[in-house]
Amino acid sequence: MSDIYTYKNVSSDVPAGAVSPLSGVRVVVQPNISVRGWPCDAGSGALEGFVPLQDAAVITRLKSAGALLAGSSRMSELGFGLVGETTVRALEEGADVAVMTDTMGEARVTAAANGLFGFKPSFGVVSRFGLIGLVPSMECAGLVARDLDTIVDVMTAIAGKDPNDPSMPDEPAVDLASAREGFECPFRAGVVKESMDLLNETEVRSFKAGLARMEAVGAVIQEVSLPGYSLFRTVHNTVASVEASSSAGKYDSVRFGHRAPQGKNWNEMYLASRGESFRSLVKAFLFQGAFFQFEDYGAFEDACRIRNRLVGETMDVFRTVDFLVFPTRRTGHDPWEAASVKAVYESFLLTLPANVTGSPAVQVPACNVDGGVDIGLQVMGKRLDDARLLCAASAIAYTVPGGNAA
Amino acid sequence: MKYEAVIGLEIHVQLNTATKLFCDCPNRPGDEPNRNTCPVCLWLPGNLPHLSQEALEKAAIACLALNCIIQPVSAFDQKVYYYPDLPKGFQLSQHHMPLSRNGWVDITAEKGGMKRLRIHHIHMEEDVAKLVHETEGKTPISLVDFNRAGTPLIEIVSEPDIRSPYEAMEYIKALRAQLRYTGAAECSMEQGTMRVDANISIRPEGTGEFNTKVEVKNMNSIRNVGDAIAYEIARQTECLEKGEAIMLHTRLWDPDKRVTTAMRGKFAGPCVPDPSVAKIRVTEDWLKKIQERLPEMPAKKADRFAAEYGLTPDEALAMSLDRDISEFFEETAKQGLPPRKVTNWITTHLAPLLKDRSQAIGETALTAERFARLLAMLEKGVINTHGAREVLLKLLESNESPEDLVEKGQFRQVSDMSELEVIIDAIIADHPADVEDFRKGNEKVVGFLMGLAMKASKGKANPKLLREMLVKRLA
Repeated sequence: MSDIYTYKNVSSDVPAGAVSPLSGVRVVVQPNISVRGWPCDAGSGALEGFVPLQDAAVITRLKSAGALLAGSSRMSELGFGLVGETTVRALEEGADVAVMTDTMGEARVTAAANGLFGFKPSFGVVSRFGLIGLVPSMECAGLVARDLDTIVDVMTAIAGKDPNDPSMPDEPAVDLASAREGFECPFRAGVVKESMDLLNETEVRSFKAGLARMEAVGAVIQEVSLPGYSLFRTVHNTVASVEASSSAGKYDSVRFGHRAPQGKNWNEMYLASRGESFRSLVKAFLFQGAFFQFEDYGAFEDACRIRNRLVGETMDVFRTVDFLVFPTRRTGHDPWEAASVKAVYESFLLTLPANVTGSPAVQVPACNVDGGVDIGLQVMGKRLDDARLLCAASAIAYTVPGGNAA
Repeated sequence: MKYEAVIGLEIHVQLNTATKLFCDCPNRPGDEPNRNTCPVCLWLPGNLPHLSQEALEKAAIACLALNCIIQPVSAFDQKVYYYPDLPKGFQLSQHHMPLSRNGWVDITAEKGGMKRLRIHHIHMEEDVAKLVHETEGKTPISLVDFNRAGTPLIEIVSEPDIRSPYEAMEYIKALRAQLRYTGAAECSMEQGTMRVDANISIRPEGTGEFNTKVEVKNMNSIRNVGDAIAYEIARQTECLEKGEAIMLHTRLWDPDKRVTTAMRGKFAGPCVPDPSVAKIRVTEDWLKKIQERLPEMPAKKADRFAAEYGLTPDEALAMSLDRDISEFFEETAKQGLPPRKVTNWITTHLAPLLKDRSQAIGETALTAERFARLLAMLEKGVINTHGAREVLLKLLESNESPEDLVEKGQFRQVSDMSELEVIIDAIIADHPADVEDFRKGNEKVVGFLMGLAMKASKGKANPKLLREMLVKRLA
């Protein structure tokens, strides 16, 4: 074990000879993505010693595309927030791309804080089979890399219907090949007026610099309104905590996970084991979810209803613009330091709308820069519009000096 | 004050699908423990449930057989509770949006006539694992068998229309008959493929109020359901008469002591919509196909049997209650035999034989075609009832033709008057006192002498002819 890796792959399971689409691409994953035979504890004592019997769909596809699995990095407990995350260090040490769960913007914010590209695909485009998740309706496999081409290559390998994930809707496949074609300009990019209220002066200046760069590529920037924008946070927080509380019920410490030695009966053993397994941040989140489940179910139902409305409002906006643009991260809200549920939400305020609505979103570095601080440019597309979104991101990135190569 | 009971039943029925509800493991809970398992039904992290089409279809057929309305949209929820038989902490069940609603079954009321008992809804859910408690050793241990985990169930929730243990038992029997007809479920309380929980409250007779109810579990036969309810009604009545309040709680039926005892409250949590199992949207085409698969149900079949075959209402009901029997009856009758004679033979000879052997018709070697040939020989007088019965026993076990069996077993009826004459001569010679008795007017003697004569013929004498000849000789 190292500071960076929870498991480092020493074997080479790359098929020799044949040149495959991802030959030579070194991939680091988080230990909540099942790799057969690798310890997969999702950063939690609740999964201590758990070794999956099967590869996640993403892993199967990466392997068959010829990628080299470098190992699994350290992650925050059950993928909630970014505390203790070592993905970027693995990338610095030679990995080409990282697969990390994006539940509220983790992949995009990680990329933005380190001058990298980050991508969260549309919900339902990449199989969740083998992902040991916490919030099934919000999370998906996100990607972080130094260049967009790698992201497009990896997406091409991992996207598409998987019979092991019946929650993927029956929809036409996203045509990622078209992401490599040139982009027809101009495109219309919307700035959500309600989102501007969140930004401080520096952030506004950075964002405006980014918008100017986009206009230079031929983007038409226009202001749009998402009346429910301020509700994204509450909706995410309420729904995600309830789903987390329900789905984390499976950690009973009987077949895997840390098991407390004390307890007169199974009930006491459960309580003691869970009490010792989860750390305080996740515990607080699970408590909150349990509160809604048991004491205020109506609030959860309201949140689900509002979520549907927000999805509808977002779809409506995409009738007038091709994409929505936002900064990716906020200054002064460091997710690696976020020690409370509130602080975690503060640091992902700009990214979580894509998770609530299941939309694809890409983070482009070196655009929203002011005084040397890069807060990241986030472009969000209509659900299933992943290919066009990646295409537009390339167009923007090529205008930035060094923007598509690191 | 006179009280009346208000009873609602929640009945879990295991569907007899080939696989489990959300994976391809065999639906055979009785196999060697933990043999029929995979990461999905072991509920290991990272796995996703995949709804079985067969289970959905069988559940829908069962709903239709109970006159329920299939809902255009239904969905699975995570029913949260923590117990070692459910290591993932929630059970997938349709809490908010059940598969069907508003059904009913008819029963014969206690005082005669028909009573319709309503069904509130039917939903699908997965079964939990089975705990095996070993208390023999130094340290008692509990083992978990996942063969049952994830097998498909439907839960049938009645309206509180039931008023007595009798009605509860009739309701269960009616449900069972309907469900077995569809072929979607075995419904055996003894084998655990049907489990009944009863909610019981009492109120002053004739009032419309609903009082605090008590749930009773752990009955393993229909009889026990009736007994447990009767016990619970008496217990609650006594409480009220002593001025004690009824508390909302769950009780377990003890089949040995024949009492209910309070159990520690099981933690019952909320239900959250499951984000991974897709919603079920029923299309008209699909529903039509399911409806076409629903067989002609007993009530309708009984009407048709009465009309087409001239059976009495009781006979028609008896011939239609069990699907195998009904099909066997109809096939036999179609071979040109008098339908009422077929009915009579099924009810008085075949059914008791099957019951003795605890077999269904399909499990024996008997076919309708061979049964019909046997009855035809009986009709023509080739064999008598005694002979036919002997051959029927053999037909259950062998594939030989009934004709061969008659010849081999020498069951052919003796109608040769000279042969019978010899038998009668011998009997009369051996029983002069009885013959004297008859001549003094005791006609009962004929029966006694007939018995002896039949026995002497090894059961093969044509009884009608024998009696005629005997009476003539005695006179």
